[in-house]
Amino acid sequence: MKYLDLAMDAAAKLGAEYADIRVQKTTDQVIYLHNLSLKNTSNSVLYGYGVRVFKDGAWGFAHSNVFSDDAVQATVKRASEIAALSASVNKDKKLRLAPERGYIAKYETPVRIDSISLPLAEKVELMLEVNRVMLAYDGIRQAVFYLVMHKDEKLFASTLGSRLELNTQWIMPMINAIAVHEGDSQSRSFNEGGCATGWEWIQSLNLTEKAKQVAEEALIKVKADALGPEQRRTLILDPNHLGLTMHESVGHPTELDRVLGWEADYAGISFATPEKLKTYQYGAPIINFVGDNTLDEGLATLGFDDDGVPGQKWYIVKDGILNEYGSTRDTAMEIGLEASRGCNRATYYFDQPINRIPNLYLLPGTKELTPSELIADTEDGVYIQGQGSFSIDQHRLNFQFGGDFFWEIKNGKLARPLKKVIYKSCNPEFWNACDAICDERWWRPFGVINCGKGQPSQSGRMTHGAATARFRNIRVGGSQ
Amino acid sequence: MNPLFEKIAQYVQKHCSADDYTLQVRISDNHETRFAQNAVTQHIAGATTDIDLEVAFGDKTGGCGVNQSDPASLDFLIKTAEDMAKLNKPDPEFMPSVGAQTLPQANNADPATQNLDPAKMVEIVQSAIAKAKAYGATVSGMTEKHWSERFMATKNGFSGSDAATEFGHSMTIKKDSVETKVSYSAKDFGGFSLDRDFAQLLSQAEALREMKDFDPCKIAVILRPGALEELLWFMGWMMNRRQSDEGFTPFTGQLGQPFFGEKFTWKSTLQRPELIASPFNHEGIASQEIAWVENGVLKNMPVNRYWAKKVNTEPLGIFNVYIPGGEATEEEMMQMVPRGLIINRFWYIRTVDAKAGELTGMTRDGVLYFENGNVKHAVNNLRFNEIPHLATRRILALGPTQLSSAAMSAPTMLIDGFNFVDKTSF
Repeated sequence: MKYLDLAMDAAAKLGAEYADIRVQKTTDQVIYLHNLSLKNTSNSVLYGYGVRVFKDGAWGFAHSNVFSDDAVQATVKRASEIAALSASVNKDKKLRLAPERGYIAKYETPVRIDSISLPLAEKVELMLEVNRVMLAYDGIRQAVFYLVMHKDEKLFASTLGSRLELNTQWIMPMINAIAVHEGDSQSRSFNEGGCATGWEWIQSLNLTEKAKQVAEEALIKVKADALGPEQRRTLILDPNHLGLTMHESVGHPTELDRVLGWEADYAGISFATPEKLKTYQYGAPIINFVGDNTLDEGLATLGFDDDGVPGQKWYIVKDGILNEYGSTRDTAMEIGLEASRGCNRATYYFDQPINRIPNLYLLPGTKELTPSELIADTEDGVYIQGQGSFSIDQHRLNFQFGGDFFWEIKNGKLARPLKKVIYKSCNPEFWNACDAICDERWWRPFGVINCGKGQPSQSGRMTHGAATARFRNIRVGGSQ
Repeated sequence: MNPLFEKIAQYVQKHCSADDYTLQVRISDNHETRFAQNAVTQHIAGATTDIDLEVAFGDKTGGCGVNQSDPASLDFLIKTAEDMAKLNKPDPEFMPSVGAQTLPQANNADPATQNLDPAKMVEIVQSAIAKAKAYGATVSGMTEKHWSERFMATKNGFSGSDAATEFGHSMTIKKDSVETKVSYSAKDFGGFSLDRDFAQLLSQAEALREMKDFDPCKIAVILRPGALEELLWFMGWMMNRRQSDEGFTPFTGQLGQPFFGEKFTWKSTLQRPELIASPFNHEGIASQEIAWVENGVLKNMPVNRYWAKKVNTEPLGIFNVYIPGGEATEEEMMQMVPRGLIINRFWYIRTVDAKAGELTGMTRDGVLYFENGNVKHAVNNLRFNEIPHLATRRILALGPTQLSSAAMSAPTMLIDGFNFVDKTSF
């Protein structure tokens, strides 16, 4: 595309120390089915480009949806002018960019069946069938199927000489049923988040069977007992639930921009400050969190980030100790790192990229252990499946989580279903309370498609993963 | 009307063969300067266009969105929406598009805000940083201006447009362990004063210097408008007529009942010039003066066109929030209870139990403990688990209503027995 060179030449002429252009076409197909009614069946295409200019220790970012020589040059000029305005503020505190080289490369999400191109009727028919299955149960008052199919086609060029072609896609199916019984209502979902793959994933899920399970468990849940008052208990958490817990209590605190205070006004900061690196006991010695933007089917597996830095794999917490952050070229230099970990991502063409959580997962246990064995080994506790309410303070210390489905464990057995269960904990108590993790056979991913961060707000995507794990002595109780 | 809207509307009218359609177009121009730790970290400028078309063949619907208005893009828009509809299954809840409406006058755009010079915005940032440095602190925040214009037209004769502006400036100051925030958000820049906001920021920061450990309990709270705003949005989302009729919310069967405290009234209003009030919603329903809750009685709930028809009522939507206040000052409120907490803001509110209407969240940006009518010291941040509509039954006093953000005016509120359940270490 001629505009890539045109933009980079224009930026160089305007004195940019560094510049890049990201031409991005995003296609979203959304189908939202509610009680057999198609509330939304739409395709949207957002096509444009964003230009970043770095000059005199400051960024300028301008975007446009007009493709012409004049428009591209005007956008570069605007980004350059804005960078100069930023630099006028940053005289005493200039930003710096970590060293990087240029790449000429292409990356594409491996896909067998392109979900957006698949005939609409095939998708809608499946969704209607799933809806019908759930609504056939007496007591199910609401059945929802939400399907999002997403595709990004990106061209990236930088003054470092990079020329990247990145074509990625993901798909996210979510089904939900709400049951009503004797003045209460409770919901149950099947929600594994997004997965960077094609329709073949949907085919493998057997969603009509999942719909039966969701409806039946919604009915069990609405009739279940509420858990009594809060007390210290043992928790067993399934991989899906842990995906959200680690997102909030490990992913966000180890984003370097938060650590530096760059999100102080909005998303918050982090307790995991640089002096704690390599010494802070974030979790028990069996806790190992890996950042991995090369993970198969990972939502942050994009080939390169929006700094033009290739995907990497590294320890964020190693043997329980805080090891490293997720970083970008402009944050890395602030703590003297030699290079970025490639976590700078934007959502749409009009977004300036920001420091994002990478694909981040908990390594499975090294000894053979199944969830059934873990439950059998637990005298008294609560088993939580899926995700519910979540809330955490702006330093990422104190948190409260709910869940989607709950069992009381008594004498090594699932004794009775529960509802209205929440637990409260904090960092570093929670991850240090982990005493067992099931082995790799039980490791499951969860893809976050709606991580809100930044001003203006952007919706980030990344994949987490875990095997079922046990946590001792956590404050668990019923809600009000 | 913006000529671009007219051009797109004419094109769609001429080329769309569907039985019915709804066209929505939004153009915007934005400038955002983000700063942190006394430096600019992000700086964004640009215009966007969003064109969305929903069409129907009989009761089969399909939609498409694009962000470019050239003929090829509009052809793609129309063809994709039509193809989606033709291939789709019938929608048992299909509603024909809305017809012509009499729309209220709106004055949501301020030319001075639209034309605000980016250099002036950077000057504001520079001044904020200079003030923070003089105080020996760091400041983080954002200065932003937005202009947008939207247009909606349907095959059944609806046509409406509305322009809006918004200026925002937020600042979080950090000195030693003290962090606190002040923000301004309004449809016009004219009401903004950096000196006033920074003085407020310093006053909050000074009040927080001495912090003591405080254990969670049920205690009286003085909720400042920023804190109340966060709670009310969540309660508003739960107040959905269909969800309530179907048994999923605490408001099931409560229409017309004194379900809230009698001191609590909640309106959407066209009568307050300081509040943004869009003249119509995404379904094309004209905004009207409406009380959602009046002296504690649940009078109305937001309801879409389909459900309104089914339950034989008129469709309604929340387009802004106005909570009438009283005359009590914070000093007077502190005299009304033996002890309590003053809350600047809440953060990370989430639903714990949708049917009960129970929410959780944390305090943020400063909590002050008062006793015997006087502020004693700051305390650590706390977590609450509370049911807001029940909390309104414990309102003891209201302060004067003030602009909290571009779409909300709310008073300071004294509520007894607010349920704090946990604390954090800062």
